[in-house]
Amino acid sequence: MTPRENPPARGGRTLIEAGIAALCGIALVVAGPEAAAAKETLTIFAAGTLAVPFRAIDGQFERSDPGVTVEPQFGGSVMMAKRITALHEPADILAVADYNVIPKYLFGQDGKGGWTDWYVGFARNAITFVYTPKSKGAHDITPQNWYEVLARPGVEIGRSNPDTDPSGYQTLQMLSLAEAYYKVPGLAQRVLANAPRRNIRDTETALISALQLGQIDYLAIYRSDAVQHHLESLKLPSEIDLSDPARAHDYAAGIAKTKSSALAGRPIVYAATIPAGAPHAALAAIYLALLLGPQGQAIIARDGFGAMKPPVAVNPEHAPPAVKALVKPWPKS
Amino acid sequence: MAARVSDPPAATGNWAPAAALLRLVFWLLGMVLLAVVALPLLRLALAPSIANLVAAARDVEVRDALWLSLEGAALAALVAMVLGVPLAYLLARGRFRGRGFIAAVVDLPLSVPHTVSGIALLMVFGRRGIIGAPAEAYLGLRFWATLAGIVVAMVFVAAPYMVSAARIAFAAVDPRLEMVARSLGLGPWRVFFRVTLPLAWHGIATGFTLTFARAISEFAAVAMLVYYPMTAPVKIYELFLRFGLDEAAAAAVLLLAVTLALFLVFRHFAYGEAAAGGGR
Amino acid sequence: MTAPGLETEGLTLRLGRFSLDGVSLEVAPGEILVLLGRNGAGKSVCLETIAGFHRPQCGRIRIAGRDVTALSPERRRIGFVLQNFGLFPHLTVARNVAIGGEARGGAAGRDALLERFGIAHLAQSRPAQLSPGEKQRTALARALASRPDLFLFDEPFSALDAATSETLRDELGGFLRCAGIPAVFVTHDRTDALALGDRIAVIEGGAIRQHGPTAAVFARPGSIAIARLLGIENILEGRVAAAADDRLSIALGDGSLEAAQPAAALAPGQPVTLCIPGEAIRLLPPQSPLPPQRRRARVAAQLRAGPLWKIALECGFPLTAYALPQTLRECALVPGGIVDIEIDADAIHVLAAERGSVNG
Repeated sequence: MTPRENPPARGGRTLIEAGIAALCGIALVVAGPEAAAAKETLTIFAAGTLAVPFRAIDGQFERSDPGVTVEPQFGGSVMMAKRITALHEPADILAVADYNVIPKYLFGQDGKGGWTDWYVGFARNAITFVYTPKSKGAHDITPQNWYEVLARPGVEIGRSNPDTDPSGYQTLQMLSLAEAYYKVPGLAQRVLANAPRRNIRDTETALISALQLGQIDYLAIYRSDAVQHHLESLKLPSEIDLSDPARAHDYAAGIAKTKSSALAGRPIVYAATIPAGAPHAALAAIYLALLLGPQGQAIIARDGFGAMKPPVAVNPEHAPPAVKALVKPWPKS
Repeated sequence: MAARVSDPPAATGNWAPAAALLRLVFWLLGMVLLAVVALPLLRLALAPSIANLVAAARDVEVRDALWLSLEGAALAALVAMVLGVPLAYLLARGRFRGRGFIAAVVDLPLSVPHTVSGIALLMVFGRRGIIGAPAEAYLGLRFWATLAGIVVAMVFVAAPYMVSAARIAFAAVDPRLEMVARSLGLGPWRVFFRVTLPLAWHGIATGFTLTFARAISEFAAVAMLVYYPMTAPVKIYELFLRFGLDEAAAAAVLLLAVTLALFLVFRHFAYGEAAAGGGR
Repeated sequence: MTAPGLETEGLTLRLGRFSLDGVSLEVAPGEILVLLGRNGAGKSVCLETIAGFHRPQCGRIRIAGRDVTALSPERRRIGFVLQNFGLFPHLTVARNVAIGGEARGGAAGRDALLERFGIAHLAQSRPAQLSPGEKQRTALARALASRPDLFLFDEPFSALDAATSETLRDELGGFLRCAGIPAVFVTHDRTDALALGDRIAVIEGGAIRQHGPTAAVFARPGSIAIARLLGIENILEGRVAAAADDRLSIALGDGSLEAAQPAAALAPGQPVTLCIPGEAIRLLPPQSPLPPQRRRARVAAQLRAGPLWKIALECGFPLTAYALPQTLRECALVPGGIVDIEIDADAIHVLAAERGSVNG
């Protein structure tokens, strides 16, 4: 691929290249095991929207215990769950954006099998529309007229894939609830007319990029994303934005139709568990305790999530003691 | 009076063992690579059950995704050929300043992470992009969620293979043959199509195959511009999320099988023809 | 009077490392001009410029009276034959010849050409399957199909062995003379020059150093460098001992020679260089007494040179001569033995010590 050049004295050049390769090899060999021996590594699989707060908490955790490195990986909640259940990748903690993901994919049948039998809710979020000053209608949109502005012709709205991602189906549930709340029949359909399939993407990166580049005017996503990416967002009523666990019963009226089923609305609660086979279960429990304690919750709140007051858990008796101490049972709805 | 070289005498003396050792070592090394490449593919091919495969073949969404991927990749390879072969010729023959720089730029997409490629493409071909905006306004041509978008993303990631292969092929054609053709009275265009191109055809066909292969497998860059309608890689990922490994693997195996069949057919026509002379 | 086959005037060109410096050539209709020079002398560049692949900074080119300087290569009506003949490897012999006729000749002549060159039976063969002789004939047929006004040959035989080269050269010479198309033949091999060239131009450093009828140039090289290029076997330095009307006596080494006065008369005491072709030295059995015009020499060595023998002699100065095997026997030549030699004064070319460019 480079233009033909006269090769320098072949013998000398090969010698130099071999020398460099050897040095690199030695460096890798020496550095590798040394690094591994010194630290224990905590592997966390977490939803993409948790990237910012978790990195802050990881920092605190590592400072409190220098013998530990935290290695978080972020992606779609369902993808991260399946990496454990279908691909059998080892993880110490799984944290998802919709608490339903854990029982759906990780719980066994009748108390047998499965990857876990408990989970703890540690953060709330609200589903909303985020936008930029360049978005169409940005100058006159309000929390009162938003569904009219969003339905205007020429407005492009982006959203996540409801078949594969929680924020995708939560968007549909929110619109269903809005239709009833505002008593405007056809509201959902009119807004969704501007959010057709062509505007569906399955990664947060793609959606945020599309918004920032002006490909879409509004993006249905979490309030925390607005805070973290410094975007404008709508303050929607908590009756429809799935942000209040106390309204769980009301939320169930909002229905999302996906390819596989019809999903009833639930509050957006981020949940975490320690899956079976976690290489460092004890360390994981300490991490979760940090997450659920005042420091972790402060970071959660700072990054745009709703704090859980207090954190709640399903089957807390099966959770590690450090975690159990900080939680209340999940309210029945 | 044709000179006929008689077969060289059988290797004797020190020759044979040394050559055999070389071949042995090379085979050992080669086997390692073959294992790294073939084992995952084999494992993947065996993952889904026949029932999975039949279900995937019956699924209209899977078939649509396969078809869309084939269509997109074929168009992308054609576009890359029409635009890339002339460029390759200039790079092979030209003596202009910046030749090396242009060649390096053309190769750049190979090093860019695919998600980043997608974002860069969206910046240029999106609604507010420097190409996307006028295209939509004046030509009614949109790249977001259209076949055009799929083709553009595929061309971006795969064209380097086309240009590289074609450039090497053109460089191997003796420029003096072109001179002879000119002296016989053929103008530059006739010389290119009757002499240069047929002699470079093998390399260009290889480039076409590689471009097609790279294009059809692209995920992140395509997915940024176009999620629906779904190409095969996007569909396979969706199947994994919604169902599981077996369903996703089944669709993947179908994609591989179709692509493999296409390659074999293409090779037969492209190289068979070239071996027989190609020119009319 | 018909226009010359080729006429170039003052072609000047700078192309990276290569240059042409005021190259002026002329080839009469039906004539073969050999362009002789070392590798890197600019022969190929010269040919390619005539063919139209490089644009000269100044100068004109006329082919068959037409000024082609501004024309692109395909309009110049030139037949261009390269080393290894440049056949199109992806086409059959028939198609190779046909493509030659496409632009100007028309396809009709193709079969006639194949017959004429005796390659009709190879019509469906590929160039890779042909012998060098068959390739040459195909290349000529192809070039002829395009009805050229001028042939240009760029060392077509340089990759072939001596025997094949010789056969092909003879065939080529025969073809050109028969076809009557003027040709420029580029080579570094003086055998080609002697065999093919009606005229010869010696090129060095992108400039023509000497040109003229072949025999004249070989007999009267214009400088020591040209003499070396022409392969003159004996190039000796000496000094003028005496000068009479048309004769010079030159002191060389431990001996002397008589030579004819060159055009620019030389005076005693001037340093000179003598050029004596090896074949100009006659070898005779030793005779006593020594007849006038002959001198005695000792055989220093004898080596085979193809069908001939190359004899290294010592007679006060070194000489190289050629002998047939029969001469060896007649003169009873053995290394260390003695022999009588005779050289015509006219065969000795005298060069003044300064380098000059002389038209022969």
